[in-house]
Amino acid sequence: MQVFKLCLKILYKNKGLMLIYIVIFLAISIIMSLTAANDSPTDALFNPVKTTIAFISEDDTPLINGFKEELARVADFADIPDETEALQDALFFRQVSCILRIPAGFTAEFMNGGNARLEKMSIPNSVKNVHIDLFIDNYFNTAGIYVQNMDGITQQELVTYLKKDLSGTASVEMKTNGKKTSNLTFLNYFFNYFAYSLLSIIILGMSTLTLIFNDRDLKMRNNCSPVSSNSMSMQFILASLAFTFISWLIMVILCLLVKSGSGFSVNTVFLIISSFVFAFCCSGISFLIGNLVKSRDAITAVTNVVALGMSFISGVFVPQEFIGSSVLKIASFTPAYWYVKANNTIAGLNAFTFDAIKPVLYDLLIVIGFGLAFFSVSLAVRKRNRSFA
Amino acid sequence: MFMHVFTYRLKCLLRDYQSIFWTLLFPLIMATFFNMAFSNLNSAEAFNPINVAVVNNEEYLQDGSFKTALEKASTGDGRLFNLSVVSAEEADQMLRDNIIDGYIIAGRPIKLVVSKSGLNQNIIKSFIDNYIHTVSVFGTILSKAPGKLQDLLNDINNRVNYVKEVSTTSAEPDNIILYFYSLIAMSCFYGGFLGMREVSDIQANISPVAARINTAPVHKLKTYLYSSAASIIIHLAEMYILLAYLIFILKVDFGSKTAYVLLTTFIGSIAGFSFGAFISALVKKSEGLKVGIIISVTMLCCFLAGMMNQDMKYVISKNAPVLSYLNPVNLLTDAFYSLYYYDTYTRFFTNIVMLAAFIAVFCSGTYLIIRRRKYASL
Repeated sequence: MQVFKLCLKILYKNKGLMLIYIVIFLAISIIMSLTAANDSPTDALFNPVKTTIAFISEDDTPLINGFKEELARVADFADIPDETEALQDALFFRQVSCILRIPAGFTAEFMNGGNARLEKMSIPNSVKNVHIDLFIDNYFNTAGIYVQNMDGITQQELVTYLKKDLSGTASVEMKTNGKKTSNLTFLNYFFNYFAYSLLSIIILGMSTLTLIFNDRDLKMRNNCSPVSSNSMSMQFILASLAFTFISWLIMVILCLLVKSGSGFSVNTVFLIISSFVFAFCCSGISFLIGNLVKSRDAITAVTNVVALGMSFISGVFVPQEFIGSSVLKIASFTPAYWYVKANNTIAGLNAFTFDAIKPVLYDLLIVIGFGLAFFSVSLAVRKRNRSFA
Repeated sequence: MFMHVFTYRLKCLLRDYQSIFWTLLFPLIMATFFNMAFSNLNSAEAFNPINVAVVNNEEYLQDGSFKTALEKASTGDGRLFNLSVVSAEEADQMLRDNIIDGYIIAGRPIKLVVSKSGLNQNIIKSFIDNYIHTVSVFGTILSKAPGKLQDLLNDINNRVNYVKEVSTTSAEPDNIILYFYSLIAMSCFYGGFLGMREVSDIQANISPVAARINTAPVHKLKTYLYSSAASIIIHLAEMYILLAYLIFILKVDFGSKTAYVLLTTFIGSIAGFSFGAFISALVKKSEGLKVGIIISVTMLCCFLAGMMNQDMKYVISKNAPVLSYLNPVNLLTDAFYSLYYYDTYTRFFTNIVMLAAFIAVFCSGTYLIIRRRKYASL
């Protein structure tokens, strides 16, 4: 086991560098997951969802004040100065989903049954605006009915009537599928980012090893030793698996420490298992890259392209449901796609019967298949390289 | 002399595949990935008709007006719902399988059954609420003025749309393009690698090539300017290739002010180059450290300019506007953004002037550090 021991010694000597890699990528994963996973957990009660909008009124009347009060049930008002650029910025960066402007003289025209209109600037075809539109139209149509049918109604009366009429609501029953207490969004995102962070760490770490072993003089010295080349390859693979396992373990433990408050569920165990399977596959990829690429600079380039590229197209950075189907088809030729798919399924699991986890096992088997394929190709490459040496 | 230094420098740089990769190929590859990953992102906030079921019970069949209202909301192109009329058991099953967002049970009061409280569920609830409100209005008015029933029924069919859409500017608020803008800004600052090399290659205590060049009887500033010209030409060409790729192949919208877009890219390229040169002059250590500083400063600036998370850009410009003006990457991203999104040029020119100031600081800094350097022994 000389080769194996040597590998571990080299890695141990570079432990500072390895730890820096692990800490940097772990920090990136945690920051990204925390920003991404900010949606609310499933509650047992129905919560009204409010949309943030900008409300600018140039018409200060009881009707408009009453309207704003009612609108507050479906909307939060953002405090944005009435300047073109500030409003445009807020819309562009999705701080508000629309800007509502009540033009001067709106109320007077409305009370006379005229052609009064609110002005709205919005993100085109946004689902949040449908909700707001529905509310505004309902309010003024209802008010319109009063204006048309009750002659001489004052604004105050109108607002009082509307307030009473609009207080009735439908009763809502929540039927959650079983009990779903822990919020898995963070862990789901975190383990998805694993595809990027773990892959980068393992490629960078393993390349340190392979670069040393690929040194021409060293290689010739090793080749004339009485250790068979097969045994050498196997020990090398063993070392790369050991390195992978240690980095994986450190990252999982640190992640669980960060998120220790949220409880530990069966889903978490499954996520950890799936990340372990993916780590095996990463090990295969790094072994292949280490055998194909010769210089240190090229390895940095390849790491970036492979890790970033795979993560972008297979749903690590952008959830899979938002990626076009043709892109996902391409992505299905990479292991990260199947890994992310398995994670997303796991996060949605409520029951752990064999039928429920079958799709997860299927996805993970594909990931293992990818891993084995990478290792076999690397062995073939090594054999070819040796015959050239 | 100019042609001599310039041509050889050009040849040298074009054969440095590593810097060509990072300054040209890497941005192109990233742009492709951005495009693949983000092209569908806007559909996430788009409205699609909501899948709703209604339980086909006695109350529903009896309540003609509710039935009509629901059916009206489920037909046509701008419809709110995709409605299915099913039995209570089927509705339950559909909800569990996530086929529908909720189902409605008619009666008094009308009941909505959902499995989570999202926006779609709230829209269904709002719709039912609206119906309940209308019924309530009828009650109020008829109690005050009986005999108005026919008028009311007419009014209810003449619903008016009280909202008038006005557009903000000529450009749509499509926030995906900001990722591409910050990518260009990042690539411009990767030009810092070229600037770094130029300065390293004229400081005789840093590289052997520089030692050789310093023995030649040519004014050092001239050599530096001539060879920098080669670097800048290469980087500018790379940036224009990237820009062409974004505009013509990936169809990223840069607005209609093309001349200004080209100008911004030019200034960005110079800013990136002079930034790298300045860092290289300032840090008198190994090349690895210089590269490290250039990459980390660029990445930090990109992060603050919203390349990883767009909200970051907005949060900083609202809460710490000074920071957004002191971040050259943000200035560049913001220049593209204001060209695309604003109808006025004020903010664009503010950005450009600030960038020019940065270039002036970087260049004069570099000059003051590396001028009149003499070496007693090499």
